[in-house]
Amino acid sequence: MDLALLSLVLCIVGALLALSLNGSVRVVVTGIVGIAACLGALAAALRVLIDGNSVSFHSTLLLPLSGIDLTLDPLGALFVAVTSIVGIASCLYYIGYARDESGSRLSLSMFMLFLLSLLLVPMASSVMTWMFAWEIMALSSMLLITTEHRHSQAARRAALWYGVMTQLGAGSILLGFLIMTLPAHAQTFTLLEQHAGGLTSLERSAAFIFSLIGFASKAGAVPLHVWLPKAHPEAPSPISALMSGSMVALGIYGIIRVGLTLLGGGSLWWWLVVTSLGVASALFGALHATTSTDIKRLLAYSTIDVMGLVLLGVGAAGAMAATHHHEVAHLAMVASLLLIVAHSGFKGCLFLAAGAIERSTGTRNLDQLGGLLSRMRVTAIVFVVATLSVMAVPLFSGFSSEWLLFEGLLGGFISHNSATSIAMLVSVTALALTGGLTAIAFVKAFGIAFLGQPRSSNAEHARDASPTMGVAMFFLCIPSIVLGLAPGSVIPLLNRASDVGLRLHVASPLRPGAGLDLLSSRGSIEPLLILAVGVIASLGLWGLLRLVARGGVRRAAAWSSGRDVLTPRMQYTATSFAEPLQRVFVDVLRPDNDLDVTHESESRYYEQHLAFLNRVDDTIENSIYQPVIKLVRRAGTAALRLQNGSIHRYLALGFIALLVVLVVLT
Amino acid sequence: MNSSSYIAALEISGGAVLVFALLTLWRRDVKANVRMLRLQGVSLACVAGVLALHQHDLGLAVTAVLVLSVKGFVAPELLHRVVRRDPRSRETAPLVNVPASLVTAAALIVISYAVSTKIIALAPSPPTRLVPIGVATILVGYFMLVTRRRAVSQIIGLLLVDNGIALVTFLLTAGVPLIVELGASLDVLLVVVVLQVLLANMRERLGTTDLDQLRELRD
Repeated sequence: MDLALLSLVLCIVGALLALSLNGSVRVVVTGIVGIAACLGALAAALRVLIDGNSVSFHSTLLLPLSGIDLTLDPLGALFVAVTSIVGIASCLYYIGYARDESGSRLSLSMFMLFLLSLLLVPMASSVMTWMFAWEIMALSSMLLITTEHRHSQAARRAALWYGVMTQLGAGSILLGFLIMTLPAHAQTFTLLEQHAGGLTSLERSAAFIFSLIGFASKAGAVPLHVWLPKAHPEAPSPISALMSGSMVALGIYGIIRVGLTLLGGGSLWWWLVVTSLGVASALFGALHATTSTDIKRLLAYSTIDVMGLVLLGVGAAGAMAATHHHEVAHLAMVASLLLIVAHSGFKGCLFLAAGAIERSTGTRNLDQLGGLLSRMRVTAIVFVVATLSVMAVPLFSGFSSEWLLFEGLLGGFISHNSATSIAMLVSVTALALTGGLTAIAFVKAFGIAFLGQPRSSNAEHARDASPTMGVAMFFLCIPSIVLGLAPGSVIPLLNRASDVGLRLHVASPLRPGAGLDLLSSRGSIEPLLILAVGVIASLGLWGLLRLVARGGVRRAAAWSSGRDVLTPRMQYTATSFAEPLQRVFVDVLRPDNDLDVTHESESRYYEQHLAFLNRVDDTIENSIYQPVIKLVRRAGTAALRLQNGSIHRYLALGFIALLVVLVVLT
Repeated sequence: MNSSSYIAALEISGGAVLVFALLTLWRRDVKANVRMLRLQGVSLACVAGVLALHQHDLGLAVTAVLVLSVKGFVAPELLHRVVRRDPRSRETAPLVNVPASLVTAAALIVISYAVSTKIIALAPSPPTRLVPIGVATILVGYFMLVTRRRAVSQIIGLLLVDNGIALVTFLLTAGVPLIVELGASLDVLLVVVVLQVLLANMRERLGTTDLDQLRELRD
C-alpha cells in the first residue's frame, strides 16, 4: 500500500510542480513525475495481483467527517495496472506533444489530477472516497477537453455535453449508493457488502439500475454514449488515450464492483439488461466507426464498440453466476478483463498515433490524408500493430481476448433458461458481426491514411513524430504483442481479479501455459506455434518465389495496373470506401445527403458547380437527446419572462417563496 | 433577577424590536428610519443582556456588548453618514403606500404567530414564546426590502431582517457561540460598508438612488 500511496502523492506533487514551474522544464518535469507515479502504482498493483492479498489504508485526516478508505484488491489492482500502463505512455508522449495550450499550467496540473483520480477510483473502498475520486475524474477530464477552447467551438460543445452527461451519471451513481447504505448505516464497502442481504429485492434492483445508468454512461454504452464521440476527439491525444484506455474501463469496473461484488450478483434480468446494452453498443459503435471520416471520432466509436463487447462478457458472466454455472461465469469474466487490458493497449496506442498524425498534418480528416506510410514510418508501424490487434487478427491481443469471449458466450448455451440461451445466441451473432464491421473500419483507417497518394499538401509534407512520442507509442504496442503471443502468461492474474469480482473461488478454466488451453477441452490456441508455422511457411514461400521468379522486377505505383497515371483524386476516399455499407445500413445510420447543383445561365443542361455533402450524424442523439434539449431550452425561454431586471420583482419572488414555504411547512 | 421580572424584561425588550420595525415601516423619512434602526439595535442588545443576566453566561454578555456596539452604534452611524450626504432623504414613492404596508405587516405578524406554533411546541419556555416576534421582524424587514425604492431604505430593510434573525437566534439557542456571532455581525457591517460605497458610486453616475433605474442593466 505504501507504494500505491506514494504514487498518489507523486501525482499531487506533479500537479503542484505543473502549477509552479516555468517554461519547457515544466512539461518535462511533470511528465517524469507522472511516469514515476505510474511506475509506483504499477508495481503496487502487480504485487497485489501476484500475491492475491489485498492491502488497505484508512485515514480520517483527508476527508472531513468520513475519512478516506483505500483498498487495493486484485480486481482494483488490475484496473490500477491498466491505468498505469496507459499513464506511462501518455506522460512520455505528453513531453513530446505539449505545445501552447496543452503545455499550460492548467492543462498539465489537470492531467496529473486526472491521473490521480484514475488511480484512486479502483482503490476507493467507501462511498465518500469513491464519489470524491469519481468527481475529480469528471471535473479534471472536463477541463482537459476544453484545452483547445480558444480555437475550437467543437471543444466547448464537447465539454458541455460531457459535463452534463457525467454529472447526471454521477448523480445516478450516488443515488444507487444511497439506497445501498440504507440497511448498513455505514459507507465502507465491506459493511455494505455484509448488509446487502438487508435490502428488499426492489431496493437491490433500484440500487443496481441507478448505478448501472451512471456506470454505463461512463463506459459509453448506447444510448448513453453521446458524449464519447464528441469528447474523445477534442481532448489532447494523450488524454484521449487515457480516457479511452482507462476512464471508460472504470465504468465497467463500477458495474462489476457494485453489481457483482457489493450487491452479490442479484437477479438474472439485471445481467440480461447489461448484455443487451452490450449488443446495442457493440453494433452501433462498429457501424458508426465504419462511416466516420474523422480518425479520432472513428477511434471513439470503436471504443464504444469494444466496451460493448466487454459489457457482453460481463453480462454473460453475471447471468451465468446468477444461474450457478460458475465455471462459465468465470471464463466470461476472465475474457472481459482480458479484453479490457488488450483494449487499453491498442486503443491507447491508436489515439497516440492519431495525435501524431494530427500534429504533423494539422487534420484529423481521413479524406485529406493518404500516403503517410513512407512519410511517418514509426507511426505507421505502431498503427499497423494496434490495428491488427483491434481487428482481432491472430497473434495479436484482440484475437486472444475475443476468442476467449466467444468461448465464454458459447459456454453459456449450457444454461437451461431459455432467455439466457437466446441472449447468448444474440451475443455471439453480435460479436461476429461486430468483428467484421471493425475490420472494415480499420482497413479503412489504415488504408486511407497510410496507403495510396497524399490527398492534400499537408499530408504530402508530413513528418514523423518526435522520438519521445515514438517511444511512447512503441511502449503501448507491447501489451498487444505480449497478450497476442502469450496470453496464458497473464491468465493467473486475471483469475485472481475475476475471483474477487465474482466472489467465487473456482479453479482456473484454463490450463497453465503461454497459450490459451481450455480445461473443458473444447478448444485451445497456441499463438507461438502459429507464429512459428507462419514464419517457416512465409520463408519457404519467399524462397520458392526467388527460385521461380528470376527475371527483373519492374516497379510501378501500387494499384495502377502497371501504368503511372493515377492522381490522388482517383483513389478511394474514406467516405466512398464506407459508402456500400452506409447504403446497406441506411435505416440505422440515416445519412444526410445533399446535392447542390448550380446551372449555367445559358442552359439548364450544363452544370456550373456541383456540391455534394454527405454526413452521418448520431441517430440516437438526434432522436432522443435533441427533443429533450429543445424542451429544456423552451422552458428556459419561458422562465426568462419572470426576469425583467427589476430588483423589486426578484425580491418579491423571494419573499413570496419564503412565505409559501413557511405556510406549507406548518 | 427573579422569574417574573425576567420574563417582563424579556417581553418588553423583545416587543420593542418588533415595534421599532413597524415604526420603520410607518415613517417615510429616511433619517427617522435610521433612528428607529438604532433603537432597535439597542433593544436587541437588551434582549441579549437580559438573557445573559438570567443565565449568568459571560459569552452571551460579551455578545450583548458586541450587538450594542455594531447594531446600536456603528451600523446606524454609517447609514447616518450616507443619509446626510443625500439631500433628498425622504422615501418618495414606496411601491405600496404606508397604510397598506401597515395592514400587510399586521397580516405578516399573524402568519408568523401561526408558523411559530410548532417551534414553540418543541420546547415551551419564556424565551421561545417570543420567537414569533423575531419571525415577524424578519418578515416585516423583508417586506420593506421588497416595497421600498430608495437604496438606503433597502439597506435598512436588510438590517431589519438581520436583527430579526439575531433575535430568533438569541431566543431559541440562548446565543450561538461567540465566534459565529462575531462573524455574522462583521458580515453585516461589511454589507453596509459595501452598499455605502455602491450608493456613492450610483449617485455619482446616475444622479439617483432609485433602484428601479437599474432595470436597464439587464443583459
